[in-house]
Amino acid sequence: MQPSRTALLALLVVPFLGAGLTPLVYRVLGERTAYYAAAVAAVCLGLVGSLYGTTGTVVVPWIPSYGVSLALYVDGLALLVGTLASGVGVLVFAYSGGYMHGEPGQAKYYATLLAFMGSMLGVAFAADLIALFVFWELTSVSSFLLIGHYQDADASLYAARKSMLVTVSGGLFMLVGFLVLHDAAGAALGEATFRLAGEGSMLANADAMVAELRTRGLLVPVLALVGLGAATKSAQVPFHIWLPNAMEAPTPVSAFLHSATMVKAGVYLVGRFRPLLFTDEWLVLFAALGLATMTVTAILAVAASDIKELLAYSTASHLGLIVAGFGLSGVLGAETGAFHILNHALFKAALFLVAGIVAHEAGTRAIDDLGGLYRDLPVTAAVTVVAALGMAGLPPFNGFYSKELLFHAAWEVATEAVAGGGSPLWWLIPAVAVFGSVFTFLYSIRFLMLFFGEKPEALGEVHSPPVAMTAPAALLGALALAVGLGGVTATAGVHLAPVEAFVGSVVDGTVVAAGDHGGHGNFSYHLPTKVTPYLLMSALTVGVGAAAYPSFDRIRDGVRAVRAVDPLRPNWYYDGTVHGLDRSAAIDIVQTGQLRTYVVALSLVTAALTLGAYAAAGTGLPALVAAGLEPALVVVLLVAVVGAVAVGAAPSHIAGVLTLSIVGFMVAIFYILASAPDLALTQLVVETLVLVIFLLVLDKLPAFYGSIPRLRALRDGLVALAVGATVTVTVLLSTAATPEDVIAAYFVENAPVPAEHGPVFVDAGGGGNIVNVILVDFRAFDTLGEISVVAMAALSVVTLVAMRERGEVR
Amino acid sequence: MTQVLLAVVLGLLFALGTFLVLRTDVVRVVWGVTLMSQAANVYLVTMGGLTGGAPVLEGGHGGETGAVTDPLVQALVLTAIVIGFGTTAFALVLTYRVHEEHGTIDLGEVRAE
Repeated sequence: MQPSRTALLALLVVPFLGAGLTPLVYRVLGERTAYYAAAVAAVCLGLVGSLYGTTGTVVVPWIPSYGVSLALYVDGLALLVGTLASGVGVLVFAYSGGYMHGEPGQAKYYATLLAFMGSMLGVAFAADLIALFVFWELTSVSSFLLIGHYQDADASLYAARKSMLVTVSGGLFMLVGFLVLHDAAGAALGEATFRLAGEGSMLANADAMVAELRTRGLLVPVLALVGLGAATKSAQVPFHIWLPNAMEAPTPVSAFLHSATMVKAGVYLVGRFRPLLFTDEWLVLFAALGLATMTVTAILAVAASDIKELLAYSTASHLGLIVAGFGLSGVLGAETGAFHILNHALFKAALFLVAGIVAHEAGTRAIDDLGGLYRDLPVTAAVTVVAALGMAGLPPFNGFYSKELLFHAAWEVATEAVAGGGSPLWWLIPAVAVFGSVFTFLYSIRFLMLFFGEKPEALGEVHSPPVAMTAPAALLGALALAVGLGGVTATAGVHLAPVEAFVGSVVDGTVVAAGDHGGHGNFSYHLPTKVTPYLLMSALTVGVGAAAYPSFDRIRDGVRAVRAVDPLRPNWYYDGTVHGLDRSAAIDIVQTGQLRTYVVALSLVTAALTLGAYAAAGTGLPALVAAGLEPALVVVLLVAVVGAVAVGAAPSHIAGVLTLSIVGFMVAIFYILASAPDLALTQLVVETLVLVIFLLVLDKLPAFYGSIPRLRALRDGLVALAVGATVTVTVLLSTAATPEDVIAAYFVENAPVPAEHGPVFVDAGGGGNIVNVILVDFRAFDTLGEISVVAMAALSVVTLVAMRERGEVR
Repeated sequence: MTQVLLAVVLGLLFALGTFLVLRTDVVRVVWGVTLMSQAANVYLVTMGGLTGGAPVLEGGHGGETGAVTDPLVQALVLTAIVIGFGTTAFALVLTYRVHEEHGTIDLGEVRAE
């Protein structure tokens, strides 16, 4: 069924409109703006819900001359990400109502969060590479603003900059990849298009695209470029470094952006491109990337000392699991990725909300200081049991099923490859999957143990949290539990149909059309009923994890010791590079903060490039024609030059302004001589006005003239001469070479009004002046732009003057 | 010869404008920018050719236009003059604001604060 155009467009408009209105709403509602924002998110959730079950493309032309359109595409994968963005959004906004109580900058906070939600919905539904890129970068920008929410804290600023640098530079690599794809589409599809999904798109012609890329030798570069975009956004090793720092943001932001949605943009991209680019190279690249991330960040999570840091590393680890799933071949790989996106969002968003409650009520986030919280926070403890065990991958909680799918996919890929004569190295895939999962189990249990055991003496009284904070966490926990129990009932024959159908539709969107065998949309999950190698892998994970847990502290100290080695830390490289660039001497030479430095550089470079281009093109100066000097013109121009020299040498501001208007009036007379009466009139009016304004302003300014040292005057004179010489040469060359077919000829030839119209057009309508007709009819938009510029200048002037008078100094 | 004269004059105007923009006095910087935009306008009109009458139809309907100067560059320059006016006014108020904020219009001192 075709999606509704109105609903789709509204979905993109509503959040941004809501964001724009937030400052006004905040003035009226104050802190209750949280519920307004939640309502906006709920509207979006409703709109996403109305699209459920539809598939197809909606196209709105954007830049038709470049073939860029705002094409929106709906399928299972888009709906999943859209549901997460708006659904988790509702809960996070409601939760913020409690969490952000008394915090600064709330209007900005809610506006940015809403804009983020809109961008994320845009990423999910974009069917066009350009639109996808724009929304993608918008999520990076809003993430930057939200991480840096506490503008006074250095740690926030550091974290915000880091996330911006990593994700935006990754996005630029992705853009290059998109351009390569666009180019390849020109050969593969017959026309160069940016359309990713829908009819006549890259996805619809995946085989032709891959064949074309392969012949050009660009397949691996494209994979690497798109992979870089996904890896930076989804915090894959070694770009995971920004995610733990991003925890400086308020906890609701961490739950929303840095676990449930924004970081999912990367895995969404991988899932979206999977049907297009799935090849053996894809398998190796993304399976390796995903498994490496999953393992390395799981180990780092064990070493964490702060609960949000633990969750951040754990998020990176689970994103690695999803990427690995999408990297592995077959329906199983797609099912792993699709199902784990959902499961991870449910349990991890819940855990972040739990972390927020703990930090808020216990007053600390240090893992070593917390314990035995279940007595004070019973509801929160229950949510944590469900979510943390899901994260650990224990049956019957939701994470178990998707992890089991990963083991299954990894096992299948390895056995198939080895049976086909591949090297035994393929066994690394299942082996690493199990190894990484052991650490996942360890830190999950560690997080759970915050709520059990002895309550440390130092931990003071723990308050009970407001309902606005527990309810969203409980709801997410309940959903996670329901998904988990669905597997149990499915074993008995009662399937949780909505979830299975939904995940099935997501799988359809990510499955490779030709290469994958097995039915589409028939996703179902249940507890294992017989002993299989992959069930044994799960058992091994849990067994080793449980055996290792008593020595958790020793493992943690060991990891910390390894982590302390500088060359092993990506952060060490990041800090070294950024610091090096920041402090290098070149900055002080290039960025002096002085206008003159920039003007000199700009003028000299422009002059050199222009003259160099003339020389390179072998252009010679035109021959001089020794005739036709009009005496009036000579006089006018000479007076103008004398006036300009006088401006340069003016002893006072008043003298300078007066001589400047001599130049202006001479230019007006020049226009008369050049047969341009309209210009002369305009110039006279403007020149008079400018003189008046200059005098009005000069009245308020001090008599500062600044002496010019001789050396500096000489240097500036040389720069000025270079510019002047360039202009002279350019004028000589350009006036000598007039093109054959000038646009103006068209206007002049067609200007006369046909005889049958009679004199009324010219006499009554004033259509005799070609310049006027061009301005008001043919180039009316230019004139509109001109009026807007003047209006904006006037507004700015009023603002600059009035703000000062109202006492707003900065 | 007209072209050569114009080329030299425009070169001089641009040179003087550049020299003024390089000063530390903000007012002079504004002058420099104004001077250069005047010169750029003159350059554009010169590009359209100086021979020919004004691009206005002679007295009414069906009349021949004859040889006229380029109306298109005139339309462009007309827009440019008005926009130049807007930006000059804005630059002047910025100058005024710089004086109010820093108590000086010496760019060297503004930076030192």
